[in-house]
Amino acid sequence: MASHRVGEPAALSDSGAPHHHLPYAIPHMLHHPSNSTFINQEGPAFDFGELEEAIILQGVKINNDDKKQHLYTAIRPAATLDMFPSWPMRFQQHTPRGSSKSGEESTDSGSALNTLSNTPESPSDHRQPPPPPPQMDAAGGIDSPRMSGSQPHPPPAKPAPEKTLRRLAQNREAARKSRLRKKAYVQQLESSRIRLAQLEQDLQRARSQGLFLGGGGAASGSISSGGAIFDMEYSRWLDDDHRHISELRTALQAHLSDSDLRVIVDGYIAHYDEIFSLKGAAAKSDVFHLITGMWTTPAERCFLWMGGFRPSDLIKMLIPQLDPLTEQQFMGICSLQHSSQQAEEALSQGLDQLQQSLVDTIANGSVNDSMHHMAVALGKLANLEGFVRQADNLRQQTLHQLHRLLTIRQAARCFLVIGEYYGRLRALSSLWASRPRESMIAEDNSCQTTSDLQMVQASQNQFSNF
Amino acid sequence: MQYHQSESRMYYSSSSVAESLERVVRLASGSAVVIFSVSTCCMCHAVKRLFCGMGVNPTVYELDQDPSGQEIERALSHLLGGGSAVPVVFIGGKLVGAMDRVMASHIGGTLVPLLKEAGALWL
Repeated sequence: MASHRVGEPAALSDSGAPHHHLPYAIPHMLHHPSNSTFINQEGPAFDFGELEEAIILQGVKINNDDKKQHLYTAIRPAATLDMFPSWPMRFQQHTPRGSSKSGEESTDSGSALNTLSNTPESPSDHRQPPPPPPQMDAAGGIDSPRMSGSQPHPPPAKPAPEKTLRRLAQNREAARKSRLRKKAYVQQLESSRIRLAQLEQDLQRARSQGLFLGGGGAASGSISSGGAIFDMEYSRWLDDDHRHISELRTALQAHLSDSDLRVIVDGYIAHYDEIFSLKGAAAKSDVFHLITGMWTTPAERCFLWMGGFRPSDLIKMLIPQLDPLTEQQFMGICSLQHSSQQAEEALSQGLDQLQQSLVDTIANGSVNDSMHHMAVALGKLANLEGFVRQADNLRQQTLHQLHRLLTIRQAARCFLVIGEYYGRLRALSSLWASRPRESMIAEDNSCQTTSDLQMVQASQNQFSNF
Repeated sequence: MQYHQSESRMYYSSSSVAESLERVVRLASGSAVVIFSVSTCCMCHAVKRLFCGMGVNPTVYELDQDPSGQEIERALSHLLGGGSAVPVVFIGGKLVGAMDRVMASHIGGTLVPLLKEAGALWL
């Protein structure tokens, strides 16, 4: 885009009659006020104060000296240059073509002029036509040897009256102030934009967790603050998990040393310890959120056991994936699976008894002492937290025991398998949610399962028939 | 499972934690596996089911059915360093701990050797 812009003025100076092209150029530029290239955030923005000044001085110049096109472009490149303060270099290569100046010289003069134009606070007299100020002289001096053949550059037209100059200076000041204001405003907009993007991202994550809440929550559909906090922590943990898994994968593929692998594996264990700790805190604030699996994806929730994964199922899944195992290791893992099953059974029976006791309390609540019964029921409900914590404890101990039983390389592979497995299970939930649905009407009644599914997807009335 | 009631009549006046602890230790040494429980506590039910599921026959003291149960509970809570006093498990007279310690021990593979050592399990 810069070249596009530069190209136009270049055409100006290349053509034989820049003086009547320039007026066209100015409205052309004015027609593109919204072009962001004009808003140069790095350097000074387009300066209408300078433009106005340039126009006035230009008009004066044109009237007096329209034959000296090369002088015009050489001496007054400041006018057009000022309009494009961000593209001084390329511009200068084009403008002095008519005057056959060397590229370096023009660059020098251009940059000299440009620095002048970029610092309007500095001697403002550099634009005064006569007498040519010292800086102007430097540029003019560089120019003059080339133009020895031509007339000495005539002093630009007599200065506009004092009033005009003062007004121009004031305009310059105002333009500068508005530039600074605009810069500040744009910076503020940028930071707000970043903040907004961040908030949107957080909201998206929270919502994607909250989506699985369904209609079972409060009437407002919001989740408790404890649950919401845990969901945010969990989504952050999932991001970390993804990172850990990638690390494990690359570490295994790179065949790192055992000591390096150990660091990564220990890190993954600590990562799991962290989620169990977070779940412990969440169990205190909202045990229902955990135990109903509202923090998980639907597929995970399907296999949920006491607020999380079932350790014996995990080990059952792992055993074929961990080959090769020594005899001792295999015995150890089978024993781990067995003891985990016994512990799960015990906890499940304990929870069953809690449920039964709760049912009895609520069912036997008479009108007379219903409050008392509710209080008793509340007391019993409080035990739920203990069961979720014991279940998480079981999960944590299982992972630690796996770590103990396996070599470091086996452990790395084992945790990679675990991470990938749950990642796939989560992905399954998303895929399931976005699968293309069949038509509601069962086309083929002979296919029982398909029609069952279709019936389930259809109205509630049909579903109740099953 | 054997349910015992502690000999509260003889130690009616014991109120200090130390005396209660002594009683606890004495009771614990009386059998291979000793569980201090409360009949209505569901976690206690879970730990009882765990041992029964393993084929162990633990001795259970239901503290809510014991006149001096409250003191024992206080002593146990003191022993565990706060938190819920029940369930607490002793194997071979030695303290194993509350439910989480029992679970960790079982998963870690140390529970079964302890039981065998105490004579509670035969294979």
